[in-house]
Amino acid sequence: MADLHTEVLILGGGPGGYTAAFRAADLGKQVTLVERYPVIGGVCLNVGCIPSKALLHLAHIIHEAEEVESHGISFGKPKIDLDKIRSWKEGVSKALNVGLAGLAKQRNIKVVQGVGSFESANSMLVEGDEGKQVISFDDVIIAAGSQATQIPVFPNDDPRLWDSTGALNLTEIPKKLLIVGGGIIGLEMATVYHALGSEISVVELMDQIIPGCDSDLVRPLHKRIKKQYKNIWLETKVESIKALKSGLKVSFSGDKAPDAETFDAVLVAVGRRPNGLKVGADKAGIEVNDMGFIPVNAQQQTNVEHIYAIGDIVGNPMLAHKAAHEGRVAAEVISGEKSAFDALTIPAVAYTDPEVTWMGLTENEAKKQGIEYDKGAFPWAASGRSLSLGRNEGLTKIICEKETGRVLGAGMVGPNAGELIAEAVLALEMGADAEDIGLTIHPHPSLSETFAFAAEVVTGSITDLYIKKR
Amino acid sequence: MSDLIEIKIPDLGGADEVEIVEILVQTGDAVEQEQTLAVMESDKATMDLPANMAGTIQEIIIKVGDKVSQGTLVAMLRPSAVADSNKTEPAVAEEKPAEQVKEEAPKAEPVKQQPAETKVVSEPVERAGKAHATPSIRMFARELGVDLVKIPQGTGRKGRILKEDVQAFVKKVMAEGIAQSGGAGISPIPVVDFSQFGETEVKPLSKIKRLTGDHMVRVCLNLPMVTQHDEADITEMEDFRKAHNANSPEYKLTGLVFIIKALTAALKQFPQFNSSLSADGQSLIFKQYTNVGIAVETPNGLVVPVIRDAEQKSLNELSAALIDLSGKAREGKLPPAAMQGGSMSISSLGGIGGTAFTPIVNAPEVAILGVSRAKMQPVWNGKEFVPRLMLPLDLTYDHRVIDGAEAARFLVAITQSLGDIRRLLL
Repeated sequence: MADLHTEVLILGGGPGGYTAAFRAADLGKQVTLVERYPVIGGVCLNVGCIPSKALLHLAHIIHEAEEVESHGISFGKPKIDLDKIRSWKEGVSKALNVGLAGLAKQRNIKVVQGVGSFESANSMLVEGDEGKQVISFDDVIIAAGSQATQIPVFPNDDPRLWDSTGALNLTEIPKKLLIVGGGIIGLEMATVYHALGSEISVVELMDQIIPGCDSDLVRPLHKRIKKQYKNIWLETKVESIKALKSGLKVSFSGDKAPDAETFDAVLVAVGRRPNGLKVGADKAGIEVNDMGFIPVNAQQQTNVEHIYAIGDIVGNPMLAHKAAHEGRVAAEVISGEKSAFDALTIPAVAYTDPEVTWMGLTENEAKKQGIEYDKGAFPWAASGRSLSLGRNEGLTKIICEKETGRVLGAGMVGPNAGELIAEAVLALEMGADAEDIGLTIHPHPSLSETFAFAAEVVTGSITDLYIKKR
Repeated sequence: MSDLIEIKIPDLGGADEVEIVEILVQTGDAVEQEQTLAVMESDKATMDLPANMAGTIQEIIIKVGDKVSQGTLVAMLRPSAVADSNKTEPAVAEEKPAEQVKEEAPKAEPVKQQPAETKVVSEPVERAGKAHATPSIRMFARELGVDLVKIPQGTGRKGRILKEDVQAFVKKVMAEGIAQSGGAGISPIPVVDFSQFGETEVKPLSKIKRLTGDHMVRVCLNLPMVTQHDEADITEMEDFRKAHNANSPEYKLTGLVFIIKALTAALKQFPQFNSSLSADGQSLIFKQYTNVGIAVETPNGLVVPVIRDAEQKSLNELSAALIDLSGKAREGKLPPAAMQGGSMSISSLGGIGGTAFTPIVNAPEVAILGVSRAKMQPVWNGKEFVPRLMLPLDLTYDHRVIDGAEAARFLVAITQSLGDIRRLLL
């Protein structure tokens, strides 16, 4: 017999899980949320998006303070109090934890702390500090997320070998830090530790950093960090990591591989693995694929009708804003609404310096698929707002369908680019074309007007650049 | 991340159905290009199956003893560059979601349910050319079940589909649906101007004809129907009937009442013919009563009054009920209740003619018995041809409920009862 029955059970209190819980409760369902940690918010809030952004904010300030020296203002060398930074960062997360707990309480959501695992298609065993209990449910949403990929042959128990969580713990500022994986997480942490004073090396297996992103958007970032960091090794593989007393000795392989080198710390950021194989899915008859993902349909339903799954555990991209949107869909479907995951794109942002962001169709993908497109690119070197920030490397580009001018994709690189992408996502969802965007008055001077300028390049009406008529 | 590679049986030089005699690798094994994965044996020779590229075996589809031919899927291989656990991935962001989802779906197990395939998350590209509608309109259309692709042009700026366009589309579809009664995605019969061929006159259909028409189309589209034919030897039944009618002129019996009697006996023996499917099609509702519907032709069209508790009625009582109901039917005085609750119906054209026909089941009943005109025929009795009066019977049934053998037995039971009406006493 179950110790507790609930209408809707949610496994996992990350942004997907708590959004689903709140939405289901608001639609009149009685909701229980199972979370293994004492606070809700998940990876995003506790060891992901939020604390990393807090640290990146500090990194940007350090960099800007350095840069304004050449414009006539000097602050001197910054003094870094690691304990204070850590407690400030934790305070940011805590404030959000408390806020979420309040939102859950106001909705009468029962939060159960413990690790949940299916016992059957209608019950879950939750093991927590206060013992075990069985919760039965009418519907369930699996929002159990993912975890950083470990590479078995590395000395994973060595405290100097970090995953993203370890890096965010801010235990020390290593003198020499190697980042394995030139993706978004690796480069964001590189930004933080570089600002704090580490000497950074990045090693990436593919031929560019942030693989998958168009190379023209990555180039300005690469150019800047190449000057800041000790090394960026592309098409290079980490062969082995040996724990020595003096540090972690890393050997590399590949055509451009450097000699083995010893680092004070190594951050492994080579991706995340879904937790699909860790929730007892077989006992509920839920299909999980070899990679650990749980396949779902547009209603977020698994192969078992009343069992839903959302977020990292159902597929890439593993992003909080995707999880939250899926969480709403699942909660609405359970509540009898005809909801479906119908979004046209999920935007991606790297909060590096400069920031890199894109949405919709990339140029790489358009070429691969043979889609006829027009591209409009606007260099921020011609943006007054960007120059007034002391930066000129940015770029905004837009990809439009050749026949109709309709927006298919867009990308930006530059300071605050992450804040600009939302307009492009809205344009895509609304079916706007290049003309619509060019005819929309954007404030001047702003970084946002670069999106309108890029659209004007497509329509041929740009005045802020001179492009010779073909 | 790139996709898994399928390893298939290559051209075997014309050999077909070759047996797998040995499999040399296991799931998770790293293999080199040209490494032998399995050994095949045909009538003539033993052949090695090489890997077409280096990588890690993700799944082996075949097993020893399988017969394979060119193109048979053998295994799924993750090419080396990807299998490498040291590969750095775009940690959080993937800009190729469409490809990702395909990869996540367990490709190698086509039998399994794959809800992920319908996931729309990830097809920004495919949708580029699709409906020009904002997210809120897409939600509105989803709620109404409207496929926006069917609305080619909206009335909004640059053809954007607006809420009013979706509403107008729904109204139009509903209006068409009522006018055509077609549905099921079947295109209507083209409109023809018959006056071009000569003079025409338009007369409205009677209400009964219109309702019958709707009902018949519904039944034809919903039921998989089969018709079984047989003949009953009614020579002796007719002898008895004629003798009886000559002796008791006030209760003249028609052949139909004997058929009703035989039908009720068969319904008792085969209760599945006295049933209906539940609304969800998941169960069968057996009726404990035996009410027989009789199709009656009237000046306004076809009606099917129902004789209640037919199995409890004598031939005389059946005859009286039949006269009463058909009389009311022809006068248009049948109350709706008198046309409901049938177990099975009979459509008798025996009084007019014909050798056989295929009646349409009066759903939700599951079968109907058609009766054509009895005819004197030479029948071989083992020694010689003898003249026998043979009655053609047609049984149409709903194949979701009744199987062919059951239908054949059911119809044989009726012919046997009519062949020797003493059986009806058993």
